[in-house]
Amino acid sequence: MNYLVTGCSRGVGLEICRVLLSEGHDVYGIARSHSEEFKLLECDYDGKLFFKSIDLSDCENVRKNVFREFVHNGIQLHGYVNNAAMAYDDIVTNLNLGKLRQMYAVNVFTPMMITKYVLRNMLLHHTQGSIVHISSVSVHTGYKGLAMYASSKGALEAFSKDTAREWGERGVRSNVVVPGFMETQMSSSLTAEQKDRIYKRTSLKAATDVHSVAETVAFLLSEKACSITGQNICVDNGTI
Amino acid sequence: MKNKLLVIINDIRRAKNQPVVDDLHENDNLRSDLGLTSFDLAELTVRVEDEFDIDIFEDGLVNTVGEILKKLEK
Repeated sequence: MNYLVTGCSRGVGLEICRVLLSEGHDVYGIARSHSEEFKLLECDYDGKLFFKSIDLSDCENVRKNVFREFVHNGIQLHGYVNNAAMAYDDIVTNLNLGKLRQMYAVNVFTPMMITKYVLRNMLLHHTQGSIVHISSVSVHTGYKGLAMYASSKGALEAFSKDTAREWGERGVRSNVVVPGFMETQMSSSLTAEQKDRIYKRTSLKAATDVHSVAETVAFLLSEKACSITGQNICVDNGTI
Repeated sequence: MKNKLLVIINDIRRAKNQPVVDDLHENDNLRSDLGLTSFDLAELTVRVEDEFDIDIFEDGLVNTVGEILKKLEK
């Protein structure tokens, strides 16, 4: 199977690529930076893993940058993992419109445009494909400073549900994985004390395991999940 | 160009067990005359885009065969 994964250079995106490659799939990765870890993975999976450096805040040129110059119509896509995201943390009274717009370009507008062309690829090849968006526990449990970020992920969750309803009759599924806080670069700005407080809110009292998130994404992409669509799957150590 | 469009439209109609049409006319309405739904039009769009590298839905709705041909002639 051929899968498109955004934000592939590190963290969850890199782990998703690793899991999909270990299952024998071909992976088309997009990120801004070509990280050393990703290059190592390319060495291990020569001819199975492809990379293009793309600025995902450029939502105007998705068709050209992604679907003309990288994943063209000759490549039949079976799935798309929308993982790339940027965090913009601040309290609401400090909200800066420029930063908000930039975050929405990366977290919402570009993923929606990519979904448009992924669906077109699936229509062209009559593929019963699977789309997985990566959201955040902050959509469902409030955290100080994350209102803007959480709102962008909430938009994705709504987009996914309605995409599922719209394209279900063509066999295309759309789901969301909602991870808890992980030990990745996205949460690297938090202090040990802040992290500890966040982890205490979970049932398992720990950071969410990145590999568990990646395995859940791979499951949702696979035929094993053929009856699951329009869902948000929480992988968050039980933030209840 | 018109022949290619005819082939694509008939492929879509055949998949829905509708009889093929012999010819296309500029005034044919894609929905009411040719029986294409919004999903069929989406498939038509991607097939035309794949063939001619033109997105016929880029600037809004398309209603007739003539409107598609005009976009492809540009």
